[in-house]
Amino acid sequence: MAHGIALQVEHLTKSFRLHSEKNNSLKQLIAGKKRNKYEDFVALKDVTFDVLEGEVFGVIGQNGSGKSTLLKCMAGILQPNEGFVKVTKRMSALLELGAGFHPELSGRDNVFLNAAILGMTRRDIASHFDDIVEFSGLESFIDSPVKTYSTGMYVRLAFAVAINVDPQLLIIDEILAVGDVTFQQKCMEKFVDFRNEGRTIVLVTHAMNSVKDMCDRAIWLKHGVITGEGDPAELVEAYTEQMLGDRTRGADGIVRRGSGEIEIERVEMFAGTSEIAVKRFRTSESVRLRLHYKANKPVPKPIFGFSIESLGGATVTSPCTRDVGLLPDRIAGSGYVDVVMDMVPLLPGTYDLHTTVTDFNRQHEYDVLHLALRFDVMTGKPYETGGLISFAPRWSIEGGQ
Amino acid sequence: MSWSAHGELIEVGERHSTPPGRGCGCGRQSRPYTVARMSLRSAMAHRNLLYLLSLKELRTRYKKSVLGWAWSLFNPLSQMLIFTVIFIYVFKASPPIGDPGGLKNFPLYFLSGLLPFNFFSVSVGVSIGAVQGGAGLIKKVQFPHEHLVFSVIVAQFVTLMIEMIILTAAMLIAGNQVLPWLPLFFIVMVFLGLFSTGVALMLSAANVFYHDVNYLWGILSQILFYATPIIYAPATIELGVLKLLANYGPTGSFITASHNILYDLRVPGIGRLAQLVILGVGTFALGSWVFNRLSPRFAEEM
Repeated sequence: MAHGIALQVEHLTKSFRLHSEKNNSLKQLIAGKKRNKYEDFVALKDVTFDVLEGEVFGVIGQNGSGKSTLLKCMAGILQPNEGFVKVTKRMSALLELGAGFHPELSGRDNVFLNAAILGMTRRDIASHFDDIVEFSGLESFIDSPVKTYSTGMYVRLAFAVAINVDPQLLIIDEILAVGDVTFQQKCMEKFVDFRNEGRTIVLVTHAMNSVKDMCDRAIWLKHGVITGEGDPAELVEAYTEQMLGDRTRGADGIVRRGSGEIEIERVEMFAGTSEIAVKRFRTSESVRLRLHYKANKPVPKPIFGFSIESLGGATVTSPCTRDVGLLPDRIAGSGYVDVVMDMVPLLPGTYDLHTTVTDFNRQHEYDVLHLALRFDVMTGKPYETGGLISFAPRWSIEGGQ
Repeated sequence: MSWSAHGELIEVGERHSTPPGRGCGCGRQSRPYTVARMSLRSAMAHRNLLYLLSLKELRTRYKKSVLGWAWSLFNPLSQMLIFTVIFIYVFKASPPIGDPGGLKNFPLYFLSGLLPFNFFSVSVGVSIGAVQGGAGLIKKVQFPHEHLVFSVIVAQFVTLMIEMIILTAAMLIAGNQVLPWLPLFFIVMVFLGLFSTGVALMLSAANVFYHDVNYLWGILSQILFYATPIIYAPATIELGVLKLLANYGPTGSFITASHNILYDLRVPGIGRLAQLVILGVGTFALGSWVFNRLSPRFAEEM
């Protein structure tokens, strides 16, 4: 991929006037400027970065960190106080789906109107119309007024229009989670297509997993300033760590959080029938985990769980005791939880194990031990070169030779 | 080269004090003439958006009403009835006589002034609401904001043309051969359209910052209605200032020209025509300039 610059943000500063009371009347303008009290709130401070062509670029940050302001400046909706944004590609910014849909007009009319607002010419729209309708899956409703649509249908149509504008640079704000699962899948595929076609995507989101999975590079905004830039996995790691409330940091990068009534003290792993704790096993071996806990006070109906994550950040599995209905009424003192897995089909690589102890609803966290154990899987049988787990496939090829 | 969603050069913000070339003319150019030309160019470049927005205006206006479009005719007709009764039966006044056409008919005199005036005043009022009502769009999508106003003007112009068909028919029935005069009337209406656009651009932009403008316009348009020779002829006024205002005030001059063409069947004076051209183009340029200066701040203010 040739790496020109698709989007350039230079020393961008944006501040807002916060009026103690919003003041939209002539009387106040004429009668007294002194009553017009305001203070300047700096939403973005000297933000500079480039997005390269063909890159998926993530912007992460807490609520109020300036993400939306940055997005609106990039989209040309807000004017910065200082600095500039330079867009060198045909851009489409999806800040809200269906902005400008008119409830009384039919789906067809709204497609044309919305696409025109997003900057398409009449000919473009006409040639994409069938694609849009097909993508939305609303063929039989397209001539009904959109006020008769359900929320899901409305969003699907809006998204179908937005995605078919055919941008070279797509700026997306938190809208990946629209529609039902099938439609989400379709959207995901469309994004992957976009990426594979070498289009540039800027993703502003809370969904850390999609940043880790999709982005090539990311920045982290905090109080309007870039506090980190670079590899998304590392950035997300750093961000998540910062976001976790009261946390304690162990020696090996172990991070613990939770209310602490019960804690997992350590995790042991045994391979095969051996009674010696190990940190490695082979593909398809049987594995036993022992989670040593200590309850500082009696805990009712705790749910124990663990998850295995690849170094790339993909969660391979995440079971818990509630899944199998193992529900002790209460637990006090010390003990351990054993997990036996007869056959672990993980392929060779390094994996991390995290443990959780929560209440029955999985809402309240008693203890979350991030990076409780890091282990290696060595080559066993079957062996495959790609992926994370093996389904032990059996292959055959039939036909003339 | 830099391109926005609208296929135009886009650079947000200022760079080493060179003026930013925002495609929709939202930059900080200081010459009204340039801005006006850019507004017209942008209207042409986005004629698809303009067309679809205007169509939306027209289509959604009378949705959910049984009589639909007929309402756009009932309003001027009912006003005509009311004022005819007051004029002829209460004040016992006699209608002006068309010179040289010879027509003597109050309802037709009234309508040939009211229809252009309504075009102006409704256009401005609806535009103010359209920009205010477009907040959801303005805050979420980058697009040329002036099209919210342009589309209202286009839709109102279409309405005026429909109303004119009825008025023309009535004129012909009354024996006033108005047909050869319609092209000239149309040209004057184009300049009234430019004038209305200019006023609408200014007031709708100001209204984003101070909502009083909306209410103020309600009063102002009423004052203008009576300051404009619609229910009377300028010749009947005795007070000099009022007469001058009725004759050559901005709306007064347009309506007098409309009376000249449709009711009297004569070409307005060359001085008046020149005034209308300057008024139309000048107001449009000023309005574009004001709007373009203010519209980059819309998203923040709304």
